[in-house]
Amino acid sequence: MSVQAFRLVCASGKEHLPAGIQIECLECSGHDLYIGTSDGCIHHLLLVEENGTESAELPLGQQLDYPNTSFTTTRQNQRQLGVKKPICELRAASALSRLLVLCDNTISLLCSDSFEPVPGTKIRGVLSFTLNENPVSDDPFSVEVCLISSKRRTVQIFSVGQERVQIVREVATPEQPCSLAADGYYLCLALSSRYVILNYNTGHCQDLFPYPSEQKRPIIKRISRQEFLLAGPGGLGMFATVAGISQRAPVHWSENVIGAAVSFPYVLALDEEFITVHSILDQQQKQSLPFKEGVILQDFEGRVIVATTNGIYVLVPLPLEKQIQDLLSNQRVEEALVLAKGARRNIPKERFQVMYRRILQQAGFIQFAQLQFLEAKELFRTSHLDIRELISLYPLLLPSSSGFIRTHPPLHEYADLNQLTRGDQEKVSKCKRFLMSYLSEIRSTEVANGYQQDVDTALLKLYAEANHESLLDLLVSDNACEVGDSAAWLEKHKKIVNGDLEDNTRPDLFEYVVDFLTFSKDQQLVWQYVDWVLQKSEQIGVQIFTKRSLDEQLQNSFCPDKIVSHLCKYRQALLLFLEHLVMEKMIQKEKYHTHLAVLYLEEILRLKSMDSSDHTELEDLRLRFQKLLRQSDLYRVLFLIDKIKGTDMHMEQAILHGKLEEHDQALDILVHHLKDFAAAESYCVWNSEGREAFYRKRLFQLLLSSYLNPSTPDNTLIVAAVDLLNNHPKEFDAASVLHLLPEEWSVQLLSPFLSGAMREHVHALRVSQMAVGLAKAENIIYKKEKLNMKEKPVVLSEKKLCHVCRKPFGEPVFARLPNGHIVHTYCATNQHVNSSIDHVPSQSKRT
Amino acid sequence: MIKKPDVKVVLLGDMNVGKTSLLHRYMDRKFQDTVSTVGGAFYLKQWRSYNISIWDTAGREQFHGLGSMYCRSASAIILTYDVSSKQSLMELEDRFLGLTDTASEDCLFAVVGNKIDLTDDYEGEEESEGERPRTCSTSKVRKQVYLEDAIALYKRIMKYKMVDENHAPAAEKMCFETSAKTGHNVDVLFESVFNMVIPLIVKKKANGPEDTINLSQESTEKHTKTGCC
Ligand SMILES: Nc1nc2c(ncn2[C@@H]2O[C@H](COP(=O)(O)OP(=O)(O)OP(=O)(O)O)[C@@H](O)[C@H]2O)c(=O)[nH]1
Ligand SMILES: [Mg+2]
Repeated sequence: MSVQAFRLVCASGKEHLPAGIQIECLECSGHDLYIGTSDGCIHHLLLVEENGTESAELPLGQQLDYPNTSFTTTRQNQRQLGVKKPICELRAASALSRLLVLCDNTISLLCSDSFEPVPGTKIRGVLSFTLNENPVSDDPFSVEVCLISSKRRTVQIFSVGQERVQIVREVATPEQPCSLAADGYYLCLALSSRYVILNYNTGHCQDLFPYPSEQKRPIIKRISRQEFLLAGPGGLGMFATVAGISQRAPVHWSENVIGAAVSFPYVLALDEEFITVHSILDQQQKQSLPFKEGVILQDFEGRVIVATTNGIYVLVPLPLEKQIQDLLSNQRVEEALVLAKGARRNIPKERFQVMYRRILQQAGFIQFAQLQFLEAKELFRTSHLDIRELISLYPLLLPSSSGFIRTHPPLHEYADLNQLTRGDQEKVSKCKRFLMSYLSEIRSTEVANGYQQDVDTALLKLYAEANHESLLDLLVSDNACEVGDSAAWLEKHKKIVNGDLEDNTRPDLFEYVVDFLTFSKDQQLVWQYVDWVLQKSEQIGVQIFTKRSLDEQLQNSFCPDKIVSHLCKYRQALLLFLEHLVMEKMIQKEKYHTHLAVLYLEEILRLKSMDSSDHTELEDLRLRFQKLLRQSDLYRVLFLIDKIKGTDMHMEQAILHGKLEEHDQALDILVHHLKDFAAAESYCVWNSEGREAFYRKRLFQLLLSSYLNPSTPDNTLIVAAVDLLNNHPKEFDAASVLHLLPEEWSVQLLSPFLSGAMREHVHALRVSQMAVGLAKAENIIYKKEKLNMKEKPVVLSEKKLCHVCRKPFGEPVFARLPNGHIVHTYCATNQHVNSSIDHVPSQSKRT
Repeated sequence: MIKKPDVKVVLLGDMNVGKTSLLHRYMDRKFQDTVSTVGGAFYLKQWRSYNISIWDTAGREQFHGLGSMYCRSASAIILTYDVSSKQSLMELEDRFLGLTDTASEDCLFAVVGNKIDLTDDYEGEEESEGERPRTCSTSKVRKQVYLEDAIALYKRIMKYKMVDENHAPAAEKMCFETSAKTGHNVDVLFESVFNMVIPLIVKKKANGPEDTINLSQESTEKHTKTGCC
């Protein structure tokens, strides 16, 4: 059967009830159970519920088995009413300590302890009655009795107090009623052909639907405020509100229902063989319990009692939480959720929220296990699932540092994904894809709050494993991936990069990794993966250092020394890095320069030693080497010369000699070993760069000499010498060159040189003549200025004072100082004596 | 608990015309085996920001009496017939129209001819698998009810309701031919009805909270009408 919602517990063995009893009707209020018999007797019993202990202490949702409820009944009073007619109905008004008894068309009011009748309170002419559970009047000292009168087509409303009864209303009905229930002003009546809702206040009568009450026993059961459940055609249990509207689909009973009861969220119905249980919430049948010879099924203050003519049983509801758990364990998520929602009003709010959240999460995992990801996601989301619960299903995804422990009791029965999918790899990958999309969706939302590291690390691992294109975006973006844990990731990741890089969707994957590491501020991470990257590609890998911003390089962790020492295993990378330091960053440190030069040298020699070596690569390397040798002045020249000796790297040797200013040796190599005249010429040019013209001329002359004095006569040298002269007439001192030239050279041959030299000389001559002229002119200008000063007339008057003694002149005699000041003659002689006065005039002049 | 529906739409029509199938097609997007409906069934549909309850009633004679209650306060009633059965159209007028007296005053009516796929003039989305039509199962049948018949019925309904034709939606807009089997026109049907019903909700809400007060007013008005039987 689908759900265990109720358990049938016997409340009265035959031994508890009087022998031969014929139960006609029941009432139960608190512990008091009243039985009305067919022979006019009322029995009072105490019905005490005893709970088994073990269930009570278990935490929420953990009731492992049914609570062990049992009942003990003990007999109290009994009373025989006057007539030996059946007791038709019994109702307790516990607030008034009264019992209402319908027997022989009369309602008597009895004291509920003594069963003594209250005098003067009989209501006669009654076919049937009910207590209004939701009376409009809220007088606590009275109850509202609604009854069908034996007067034709009449219903009456009475107010019943402790000592008196009083008619409130009498309303005519369109047909003879035979059964009723009440709520507020509304009476739900079964008339002979239909059900109606009668508002006894206004008299308005609302049709519900036809029902042949004369042939078939009608049932009217108040369900909740303003809603009734009625036996309808075809064995239906119909819901109807006082407005005459049906808000729920009908439940399907059998054709011959005897009674119905409500125990939220269920309606129960009794027929000849079964008690069936339907949910009010989804109208589906949930349980059926075999029960024969039942005559009464009623609920009393929430307790459902079923009775045969001589036995009484209680339908004990299982705790809702237990029912929900049962549904969940049967994977019936929908129903469990409906029931859980429906349980809201039966469970205290705080407790409900905790319970409901947990149920949603469990439901989520059930959907998840069925690969219903959309539904699962929604449930996880609404229940604010700790996302690590989900991640933890996937082996190894949570970072090892994560202190996460699954909640207890567990939300699901699965150890991990493999168990959940039973090893079905297709399912596993579906689950992984789901998690991937889910995590990427939530990683920047509050769902991930606090678990950023767990989420990002898990996502990273998933991406890495799936070779997902978003991996790099994640890495490059602001992420909280846990570094230390990425070993596992790395393993997988390597696999990808090393393996099928070609069929990867992102062929530049590796570059991305490098890029990421380059911009990573995380020193530890960088150092951890440097080796792997370099093993993969030194050329690209070294960019981690070369493209790193300089500020960072200056930090301890990325200082060049550390990097250099780390790179020593990777020759290529080291070379590139040093090249970067020396040539680009212009770091002026001898050890880098020398180290780089040595590396070049070794690499060149290594390449040369390989026959198959690539020429362009070698050439390229040599050019870079030479560039270094030329540009840098820091490396240890002698050390290199030593190393290079005996190799055929003449050009480099020449450059090194040049560095030592051993130009004749250098040129000798260039001219006689290499016969590279262009190189020799450019040697002269770059070696004299920044030096005076004389130095350059000396170099060129050396070169010329080396052309002209071959150990073996060589025509090409002659041609080179002529070309050199003819192409660079300016670089030579023609007069001294002419001595060097062989006699037999014709003027014709050297005419470009000679005319060039001539022009140069004439030019030089003219330039110097111009300079002389200009200097002379300048000199004349100065002389003129001097004369201008000297030739000013000196006017002597009484107002004029001697510049030295500041006294007027007494006689027409004065001396004139070179600066134009006039003084007494004796002052002038004084001044000559004391040369320190020399500056005094200029001082006083300022005043 | 259950979301309170804002508005009610009811499907009425003889048994076997395909009411349940239409709803299945619309709600579950599929055509599946049905059993003749017992009593009634109930669906909730979220449409825009509103909750619409849709009632599938039972066409069987036995449950005919429940119809009035299901129609009470309905805002739209979808009267369904089977295009291959003239009788099913006639039943709408004879048996079902009277049940709609309890519907809301401004209730909309739609007349729907289902099973259009069975008829010879339908050549749409082809159906291939085995089927269980009421008539011969291999070849198509002659259409028994034409759209004009439905339109004529719609106009008679408006007359019966004493609605001025100018105020009611045009008959052509309210008569549909559908196939629950192929899905033909099914979405169009429900969505047009929902779209037309929404202004009614808005109006109802603007008139203040309805619930009990308004209902009792309404019912006192109708008292004379219902009380006579
Ligand atoms: N060919 C065809 N068959 C249909 C179509 N709609 C329904 N049917 C069939 O008609 C039969 C009755 O369909 P239901 O949907 O149960 O009819 P109903 O109106 O709900 O019947 P009741 O519940 O008894 O009132 C079923 O066998 C359906 O398969 C349709 O559009 N085309
Ligand atoms: Mg149906």
